Amino acid sequence: MMKDATQNTPAPAGETPARGAAISVDNVSILFGIGENTFVAVDRVSTEIAAGEFVCIVGPSGCGKSTLLNAIAGLEHATSGAVRVDGAVVTGPAAQRGMVFQQPALFPWKSVRENVAYGPRMAGLSNDDARQVADGLLEMVGLAAFGDKRPQTLSGGMQQRVAIARALANTPSILLMDEPFGALDAQTRAMMQENLLQIWHQVGITVVFVTHDIDEAIFLADRILVMSAGPGRFVQEIAVDIDRPRTPEIAVDPRYVDIKRQSLEIIRRESTRAFEQQLKSVL
Amino acid sequence: MSGPIEQTAGAERPAPKRAARFWQGEAVNRLVLAASLPLFFGLWEIVSRSGIVNVILFPPPSTVLGALLDWLESGQLLVDFGMSASRVVVGFLVGAVLGALVGILTGRYRLLSSLLSPVFQLLRPIPPIAFVPIVILWFGLGETGKYFLVVWGVFFTVWIAAHLGVQRVDEKLIRAARVLGTPEKRMLREILLPGALPYIFVGLRTSVSISFYTLVAAELAGTFAGLAYRIDIAQQNLQMGQMMGGLVMLGVISAAADKLFAVFAEKAVWWS
Repeated sequence: MMKDATQNTPAPAGETPARGAAISVDNVSILFGIGENTFVAVDRVSTEIAAGEFVCIVGPSGCGKSTLLNAIAGLEHATSGAVRVDGAVVTGPAAQRGMVFQQPALFPWKSVRENVAYGPRMAGLSNDDARQVADGLLEMVGLAAFGDKRPQTLSGGMQQRVAIARALANTPSILLMDEPFGALDAQTRAMMQENLLQIWHQVGITVVFVTHDIDEAIFLADRILVMSAGPGRFVQEIAVDIDRPRTPEIAVDPRYVDIKRQSLEIIRRESTRAFEQQLKSVL
Repeated sequence: MSGPIEQTAGAERPAPKRAARFWQGEAVNRLVLAASLPLFFGLWEIVSRSGIVNVILFPPPSTVLGALLDWLESGQLLVDFGMSASRVVVGFLVGAVLGALVGILTGRYRLLSSLLSPVFQLLRPIPPIAFVPIVILWFGLGETGKYFLVVWGVFFTVWIAAHLGVQRVDEKLIRAARVLGTPEKRMLREILLPGALPYIFVGLRTSVSISFYTLVAAELAGTFAGLAYRIDIAQQNLQMGQMMGGLVMLGVISAAADKLFAVFAEKAVWWS
């Protein structure tokens, strides 16, 4: 009904994808539980994500956005429908689809370098080659000097940068990010966002980024998919046609303000609707 | 409103504060720590010689020390120590390796757990000491029976630690490993084993003490040398000094083994 107010997403100029893959989410539903306790986390969701595109999925907590991201990763199975990457149906996790979680989830028994080298090692690279790959990526995220450190000794922001480097070490074509900066303080988060855009620009990878922070989504995305709760559906798609490279100053750009107003309106409307629905189900 | 309260508090505060600061000082703490053992042995010496207790049944530490030195000079102490140590070491190693191995497998594979866990849970609570009579019939008075008892004591503790450890590996790490392309068959070695290691080491450390408890039971069951055996023999000869010396030796050795293991564990699982 209220789908796609701004349909025409312009392909970002000058950001030719080097190795991104296209994602197709085709009528995906994900149900949890059985019988009366069945819970519809994701309800018949469809979208096409172009190779090299940066898409943000926003929505209130519990709307199923993480579940959908897990389905793209292959960590969760679609109850019906299918996720395809470059045409091939996703049946399980693969190194081609890197993922960064809200918690860095670094292996505490490995050094920073060994953490980043883990993926390449699993892919069959020799220890030396894997270490070389790791050092290159640590350099990219600005942590070249920290390879021998234990992950626990790093700050939250640094750990998350290691997690990004670790995901990129597999040279994936898709990077899935599940509120990766949600646990960081505002300054670190802003820095990480800029850093991420640089990396994305550099490697031309497809990024699907889940967040509940509208400002973060507008700053990062080519396109924002707004999800509603109960059941999880896409209710709106917003193209962010703000020039790149973006700096924090875009927050005062009239287009930014316009998009933000638009998104907040949808989210408010959807939250109210979900709340009323909840009330009804209780009464 | 708060005036009077502040006044009284302010007037009373300085004195207890100074005393508290003295007792919380690092130098005082070190002094007390250094005085702990000398005070204990000193008090023991005084009580034994005071006539409050029977000095034959409760000899002072000086007498115990003498008995220990005699024991050492006779060469028997070294033999007893060697025998006891070999039983603990062999029993601990075998029990630990078996327990960790089986625990990792039952923790990882549900069917194997369903097959073995009920049996283990039934056998686990039986104290090893209760096995002494049957062990004598099975193995006689040789070393195998001693190893068996120590293995029995160690195995179940390490098994349950490893079993739970594998199941409690942080789910986040498993997911991270999966999206990084870890093949299922490498998951055990790469993620589950190191993830469970901190738990396993807790079980291992508990087992160090357990293997000493079990050693005593094993040696009382009949043998020809060993620290606990020596205590038993000394009892028959009413050599109180030697008996207490044996207890002191057991205390010193198991404390040293525990400490040694703690140092090793800190190096082996440095991340936890």
